[in-house]
Amino acid sequence: MFRFDPFSPEIDANPFPAYKTLRDEYPCFWSEEANMWVLSRYQDIVMALNDWETFSSAKGNLMSEMPGRAGATLGTSDPPRHDRMRALIQKAVMKRALDHIIEPAHAAARTRLEAVKDKQPFDFVEDFSANYTVDLIAYLFNLPAENLETVREKAVLMVQSDPVTRTKSPEHLAAFEWMRDYADTLVEIRKREPGEDLLSQFILAEIDGEKLEDREIQLTVTTLIMAGIESLSGFMSMLMKNLTDFTDVRDALVADPSKIPDAIEESLRFNTSAQRFKRCVQKEITLHGQTLKPGDFVCLAYGSGNRDERQFANPDVYDLERKPKGHLGFGGGVHACLGTAIARLACKVAIEEILAMYPTIHSIEQEIQWMPSSTFRSPLHLWLKA
Amino acid sequence: MPKVVYVDFQGNRNELEVANGMTLMQGAVMNGLDGIEGECSGSCACATCHCYVDEAYLDKLPEMSENEDELLDGTASERLGTSRLSCQIRMADDLDGIVVQLPEEQ
Repeated sequence: MFRFDPFSPEIDANPFPAYKTLRDEYPCFWSEEANMWVLSRYQDIVMALNDWETFSSAKGNLMSEMPGRAGATLGTSDPPRHDRMRALIQKAVMKRALDHIIEPAHAAARTRLEAVKDKQPFDFVEDFSANYTVDLIAYLFNLPAENLETVREKAVLMVQSDPVTRTKSPEHLAAFEWMRDYADTLVEIRKREPGEDLLSQFILAEIDGEKLEDREIQLTVTTLIMAGIESLSGFMSMLMKNLTDFTDVRDALVADPSKIPDAIEESLRFNTSAQRFKRCVQKEITLHGQTLKPGDFVCLAYGSGNRDERQFANPDVYDLERKPKGHLGFGGGVHACLGTAIARLACKVAIEEILAMYPTIHSIEQEIQWMPSSTFRSPLHLWLKA
Repeated sequence: MPKVVYVDFQGNRNELEVANGMTLMQGAVMNGLDGIEGECSGSCACATCHCYVDEAYLDKLPEMSENEDELLDGTASERLGTSRLSCQIRMADDLDGIVVQLPEEQ
């Protein structure tokens, strides 16, 4: 009998064959292991993303949710409050507001690449993308310079889950608690001495004449740090994996760097790091002959929708010329990733610098270890040679 | 399926099918049409899906929220009497054939 266990190491390593079975044979599947429904076809996922009144985020959006987080962050609240909160942050993360990070991003990328010159092979994840994204987020949020390494380490741990117990282990929960306390301290500092940074703007903001609740601020800041550091680094690692798996694509980008944004979009479609997110059913709904009841959780398998042959021709081919529109690499609907402009910019700058400095960068023989996570998919290490 | 006519700044007409329930912003973005960004993905939080709605359809649109009104004050291209955010216009049968003009910049 077919099973789908989003906690299993096999799915971490390669979810795509299971996704195909889900799409073709069980488009609305009850996963006992996950204790939720799984939607895997593009059209069904888009439908759910656009109907927040039926598919709510307020009971949590991560496959393995962290305690106390549901309902208190952007990603875990529904309109209209969600929209009011999002409007407070959106301005600071829009494309036209990000010119100021372009130069610091180039400088950070060059410094981090110089540092691996004499270390060959190097681990793209630990030696480059982790450091580069921390540099960038520390700049953007004006984070204190001390213990940034610990911030990164905790951001990585907090998104993980245990494949055996199918929940967060004490270590993962401790990482989340550490980050929550870190965010709390940061919020206190900013309240006393507000700056021009994104966090200060959010902390000082009001919705309908009321300040945000402390819990909302603390957990939203926690999530922004987690997403800014871990999700961005995870996606960048997948992008780099694609460019070193498909060296013809790498060569095409070296020859014409203006195609880098096309490679970013195709990577978001082909194997985005944000593989699966969660919703909670509010109104009974029947899909593909199955009845979903209020209170049931539903997994939206973005990574599967992005490979749906009903939407994308030859979906298992990485095609630089595809220029995919409407992919689910950043999710969709009102909860689509807040940091899309930051992510696109950070990846474009990084790849420009990497290919300019190391045009023949390639992978070496290795067995990839995948992050144990029911939500995200990215390699723990990616060994490359310049 | 109902249709939307998007007219870009150069005057080119693009007629696209947009399913009922989808927003005009989504219809443009998911079909890869340039001229509408939708950076906040329809949370009514960014004003990069600004459009000018053909007057014949203005009365059929839902009333503008205070939030949309505020955002329209900050659009990159001039706000006119026909300005709306296309993420706040959901497709419905009575909007079939709606014509929206896209601004010079978002």
